[in-house]
Amino acid sequence: MIYADNAATTQLNKIAFEAMMPWLIDEFGNASQPYSFSRKPKNALAEARATIAKCINALPEEIFFTSGGTESDNWAIKGSAFADSNKRATITSAFEHHAVLHSCAAIERLGYPVTYLMPAVTGIITPESLSNKICDSTRLVSIMLANNEIGTIQPIKELCEVAHSYGAMFHTDAVQAVGHIKIDVRELGVDMLSASAHKFNGPKGVGFLYIRKGTKIAPYVDGGAQENSRRAGTENVASIIGMAVALKENCDCLDDYLTSICMLEHQLLSMLSDAHISYIRNGGDKSLPGLISLSFAGVDGEAILHRMDLAGICISTGSACNSESTEISHVLKAIGLDEKHAKGTIRISLGKNNTADDVNAIAATLIKILK
Amino acid sequence: MRINCVICGKEDLDKDTIGINKKLLGIDITNFYCMECLAEYLGCTVQELLDKIQDFKDEGCTLFK
Repeated sequence: MIYADNAATTQLNKIAFEAMMPWLIDEFGNASQPYSFSRKPKNALAEARATIAKCINALPEEIFFTSGGTESDNWAIKGSAFADSNKRATITSAFEHHAVLHSCAAIERLGYPVTYLMPAVTGIITPESLSNKICDSTRLVSIMLANNEIGTIQPIKELCEVAHSYGAMFHTDAVQAVGHIKIDVRELGVDMLSASAHKFNGPKGVGFLYIRKGTKIAPYVDGGAQENSRRAGTENVASIIGMAVALKENCDCLDDYLTSICMLEHQLLSMLSDAHISYIRNGGDKSLPGLISLSFAGVDGEAILHRMDLAGICISTGSACNSESTEISHVLKAIGLDEKHAKGTIRISLGKNNTADDVNAIAATLIKILK
Repeated sequence: MRINCVICGKEDLDKDTIGINKKLLGIDITNFYCMECLAEYLGCTVQELLDKIQDFKDEGCTLFK
């Protein structure tokens, strides 16, 4: 099997897996209890928090552990709304992950206004488009760091400057980007940043929300004093430690990873071009390394996915058919991709475990299907 | 309308066979294969196609019985 759907999830790093083991069996204590048996997990949590903070240039007390990216996004959107009795407006984009879009829809139902920015055809939210919609009554701007379907990396620093100039907070859903490109929250200037461990070779069911000191946000999960009384629930010690180890591993090896993944990406696209396969690369070259969204005119993307699967290759698609029609993803609709190409869109997302042989097989199979 | 296999001529392909053809070759196709000819064409086994059909049924896809 060749796994090329690393944007959906990644394989758990073996070192992270081994680091998790002691905390599941021997050191199972509740990190919030006052007795000495809980001292080790408590210290391990503090160490994990510091490790993660260092990876994104945050302070340890600005890292809050959650159950994953979806919870982090829900907390950022709803928590900041619930802390605002004036019900000021939120601005987001039309091609966010559903964790953001559905959270925005939920606060809209409660009377909080939400504006949705449309990306340019390049898959970028420009600072100008934000400037045109933002006003003094905007409370929060939430724009993803890298799009999960087409990989485009947004100009977060510039967007953040626009938001702050109007006194609005800025949240970024960085789930797809953390552990894959260098991220410095101070340099970006963001107030909140969501991340999910399983996207960077950590375990599933754990993530974090970076909340800059002084940011006004209400707790989202109630029921205990964990996470400085801001996120209740017994700490998932083993997974948090696995997440910290996985993130540190990825950050430590980032330069080598980027070199290798860019070579594989180039190899794949060259093979398609050499075979005279005509395609559109969605997002162009301002995309996350290794995340390749390709559209083929007049082809069924879902059919490609299933035929690749029969050949033992896991990829993803940007459309899904039912008996009546083909449903095109909200991301492809938002960038205005024509229907002919949108229906024939696939996403190949390479990861640290992929090799040149994998890419040869992926390209050869794809060419065979498309010829 | 009765649909026959474009390769071997097998007559009156059932709903699942027509559904898997549409899923793997495209929703708008006009030529259909029987299970054996489709497996041969795609270089897989009939069992792999049957497994796919079950996956689609489990997802609730209405192309299948």
